[in-house]
Amino acid sequence: MLQFIVRRVLLMIPTLFVISALVYFIIDLPPGDCVTSQIEELLARGDPDAHARAAELRELYGLNLPLWHRYLDWVVGIFHWDFGLSCQDTVPVADLISERMMLTILMETSTIAFIWIVSFIIGVYAATHQYRWGDYVASFIGFIGLSIPNFLLALVLLYVGKVYFGLSIGGLMDPEYIDKPLSWGKVVSVMEHLIIPVIVIGMSGTAGMIRRLRANLLDELQKQYVVTGRAKGLPPMKLLVKYPLRHAINPFVADIGGLLPDVISGSVIVSVVLSLPTTGPMLLSALKTQDVNLAATFLLFVAVLTVIGMLISDLALAALDPRIRFGSSEK
Amino acid sequence: MNSADLRYPQQTLMADYLRATAGVVLCGAPLLLLDVNRWLAAFLLAGFALFALFLVRTALRHRTRFVLGPDTLCADGPAGTLVEWNRLDRLKLSYFSTKRDRSDGWMQLSVGSTGGRLIKVDSALEGFHDIVERAAQAAEATGAPLSDATRANLRSMGIVVVGQEEPV
Repeated sequence: MLQFIVRRVLLMIPTLFVISALVYFIIDLPPGDCVTSQIEELLARGDPDAHARAAELRELYGLNLPLWHRYLDWVVGIFHWDFGLSCQDTVPVADLISERMMLTILMETSTIAFIWIVSFIIGVYAATHQYRWGDYVASFIGFIGLSIPNFLLALVLLYVGKVYFGLSIGGLMDPEYIDKPLSWGKVVSVMEHLIIPVIVIGMSGTAGMIRRLRANLLDELQKQYVVTGRAKGLPPMKLLVKYPLRHAINPFVADIGGLLPDVISGSVIVSVVLSLPTTGPMLLSALKTQDVNLAATFLLFVAVLTVIGMLISDLALAALDPRIRFGSSEK
Repeated sequence: MNSADLRYPQQTLMADYLRATAGVVLCGAPLLLLDVNRWLAAFLLAGFALFALFLVRTALRHRTRFVLGPDTLCADGPAGTLVEWNRLDRLKLSYFSTKRDRSDGWMQLSVGSTGGRLIKVDSALEGFHDIVERAAQAAEATGAPLSDATRANLRSMGIVVVGQEEPV
């Protein structure tokens, strides 16, 4: 196992370097830079010092340096939590993202917990109660979740909440807590506001997981060893948990790694629709304005979370089921 | 059956030394050369400890020879131990791969006899198949419980252990 962990961790390091380089260079590829649009505004206003101001800003943001130089500065800065300056507000990226990053991590973690818990319970129930009303309801929820885009569900909930219940669903806390220090009231408000975004973002993931777990468990429950166990009089719960569930859970665990990037990318548009103060809307605006430092920092965080998610999923799978597969070759 | 002296090939050991050194350098260099943020430093320290542990394990493997005999498997080295086949009570054969399709992986055998420490060997070890075969025969004789995954991995190596089912 130690060798497995070492090899996996060793693969992560160059992967993150390659991702960071690709992200940084690709965001910078389109013509112009983050100062271009600001200068166009100044020129449109007839500012005679527009070009001098552009030169000043380019020097401030380091845009006069070659791209590889800026990239290396950014990478070295990461180690002391300095991601450079954001072009949008001329403030350090670290200051800009800190609160949003915490709220994003809270939202994504809650969403993943929601997906696992709900899909596990419903998936097992649907498989053990095949073709009963509970199974039909679970399948219906699955189809709804898979077929409705997250942002559309968010819009529907916004409309229903406002028109029929008089609720303001947008945001992640009540307006009086915005920019206020952490307090118990703020925590409660965040928790209350988390429910809808978590359901909206987690809906499609939950639906997919339910269907996969149901199908895997049904396959296992129809195997000979389960029939034999039942014939020998094993208690139903023991018969379910001891082998079928253990086998059926493998693809479920393997999906954990893929879940994280799905949830994060799915939450960007939902965050815009629901006016959530997470990293999604800021990332979108950073990409539009070619704010390389800000956008690359966000995307690097997503990459780190994805790579860690994959590692956790692979470690869990290796611990749960360390067996050779057909088609794999032993060294 | 005669005793066989088994060692890890130099090529495998060198590859492991290279991996361990690369990890130690990649995690340790920023800690030494830069003023690292404390949260990142914690991650890097954890990575450094992991690769340092792997370096120590590789060095131990380098200094260890395995002696497969008719009655025992002996790990003769700095952290040496002995497994008696007629008292075998633990046998686990696992398969690991870092690839998504789980190809190009390696097997790891863990065996232990009553009251003794485990011996863990990888499929890179010369004579690995012979050790697994002998361990499987011993498990059949002593009735050591085998997990589902172990039985599947034994089958993939062409070894079938009769009558050893994990208790339900």
